[in-house]
Amino acid sequence: MVRTPLQRASGVLEVAPQAYDQELMRVALANPQLSSAERLAIYNRQYWFRLFTVFHRAFPLTTRLLSHFTFNAYVSRFLLAEPPRDWNVDSALVGFDDFLLEVLPAELVPIAGQRLGVARLAVVQAARIDAAFHRVFLAPAVEPFHPGAQHASQLLSSRLVASPSVAVLEEHWPLCELRRTIAGEVSEAAVALPEGLLKPRFWLLLRAGTKLNLLALEPREAQLWGLLRQLSVGAALERLEQDCPAEQRAGLPESTQRWLARSVTLGAWTGLETTPSTAVRQD
Amino acid sequence: MIAEPPKLARDALGLGLRIPHYGQLLEHWPELDYFEIISENFLGDALPPRRNLDLVRERYPIVLHGVGLNLLGHAPLDSAYLDKLCWLAEYVNAPFVSDHLCWTGGQGLSHHDLLPVPYAADLIGVAAERAAFVQRQLGRPFGLENLSSYVEFRTSTMPEWEFYSAVVGQAGCWFMLDVNNIYVSSQNHGFAPESYLRAIDFSRVLQVHVAGHAHEANGTLIDTHDHAVADTFGDCMPTPGKAAGRSRRCSNGMSAFLPCPRCSPSWLKRRGCAREPNIS
Repeated sequence: MVRTPLQRASGVLEVAPQAYDQELMRVALANPQLSSAERLAIYNRQYWFRLFTVFHRAFPLTTRLLSHFTFNAYVSRFLLAEPPRDWNVDSALVGFDDFLLEVLPAELVPIAGQRLGVARLAVVQAARIDAAFHRVFLAPAVEPFHPGAQHASQLLSSRLVASPSVAVLEEHWPLCELRRTIAGEVSEAAVALPEGLLKPRFWLLLRAGTKLNLLALEPREAQLWGLLRQLSVGAALERLEQDCPAEQRAGLPESTQRWLARSVTLGAWTGLETTPSTAVRQD
Repeated sequence: MIAEPPKLARDALGLGLRIPHYGQLLEHWPELDYFEIISENFLGDALPPRRNLDLVRERYPIVLHGVGLNLLGHAPLDSAYLDKLCWLAEYVNAPFVSDHLCWTGGQGLSHHDLLPVPYAADLIGVAAERAAFVQRQLGRPFGLENLSSYVEFRTSTMPEWEFYSAVVGQAGCWFMLDVNNIYVSSQNHGFAPESYLRAIDFSRVLQVHVAGHAHEANGTLIDTHDHAVADTFGDCMPTPGKAAGRSRRCSNGMSAFLPCPRCSPSWLKRRGCAREPNIS
């Protein structure tokens, strides 16, 4: 069967190929305006810019913190390591925030054309926020879990299963606000990172209908959300209490009840995983 | 097996459903005969696209246009993808479904682009067999769209239109004729668009796509869909007037399609080939 992949050796489209392989050059024809390599390069360009656009849309905050140029460089490194394998172009995005965590420089991330870089942690948090917005928005419809009397006996030893349409966000700069501000802007320049917050801030991102909402979380409440995603309910409550300073412990049971009730009302859970607590991660 | 002719009226005029349209669309519900969706945007289980689709399908017929079938890829057709496509076609009760006469990936990778092949006899049978299989699985008419392309291959042994016609003929499927793509390729490869059109059996044209393109400084035309429809390729458009001259060949439904409102629906009206849609 006759086919002509654009890059026969690996199947991967390089960013800017120095040379196409000989067999491809033998069969690709030039026209009066362009050499065969220049004609093939149109496909390379289309490939990259199509994917860059997909990443810009899914990671708008990260893109603007880094500038399009610097962001694209990270995207191309990621896609060369993890090229798209699926008909669903959104699947190409999966793992990009983890990739940034792995490859970003230790403290400051240099930005092309700028003297000062941007704090690594801000870029990591921006990528986590962007990824969460994308994931939560495109989550499937799920039935929320409403625990009843029949669940009481197993609740403490079971883990609540988190709804895919909910995420907890952490920011040390007002990144969610910045994300909202830049939403309508048409610019490829890096946006300045605002002043850092005095204390980290936590948000609950949740989809209601087809709209995304952000609700402020108290730090201890955010910790509970995180623990409930990892541990059995009993183990999560125990850990929360351990981590709570002695002077705050008196009010903790009431607050915890309120936070748990709110999480159920908001549809944060889809069920109970009745794995024995010893089998649940304890980290 | 040759599928039933499409259910849309012969002069049906549709629009491509894109995210930027939703705001205006959901408020004004313009007078249009159908919407065309990119199949892949609705194959997943994400809630918001499904909700929007439900709102639109209550009011308009919806046809599916895919970009991920990889009909001419080395690998066998992706049966999981095809199952989802069949489900979606059933879900919206699509009058017809289309995708491209191209390959989109190989060696386990997806290029998310519509890539040309050498037009050679040994590919016709494979392409036709696959297209016929897809049409059978779908249980409704399946159209193959011609590409815009930027490179040709020495190993081609026939012009694109001959290859295209042979595949559609052998498969018993349909042409989904993109006149912008014919024009773009004609300028990039130096052939007369009329030669292309003369080779097409218009009785097997399911739908016509009309769109705009961009001019590169080096003379290359790129199929971007982000420019207004160019009058320069108006002569490519198989208008009713022209069709009348070929009445033998134009007896089946042949709906027109505009990928976006920016593509100037009035262009079609000026061409006398369709009424202007009421898009407020």
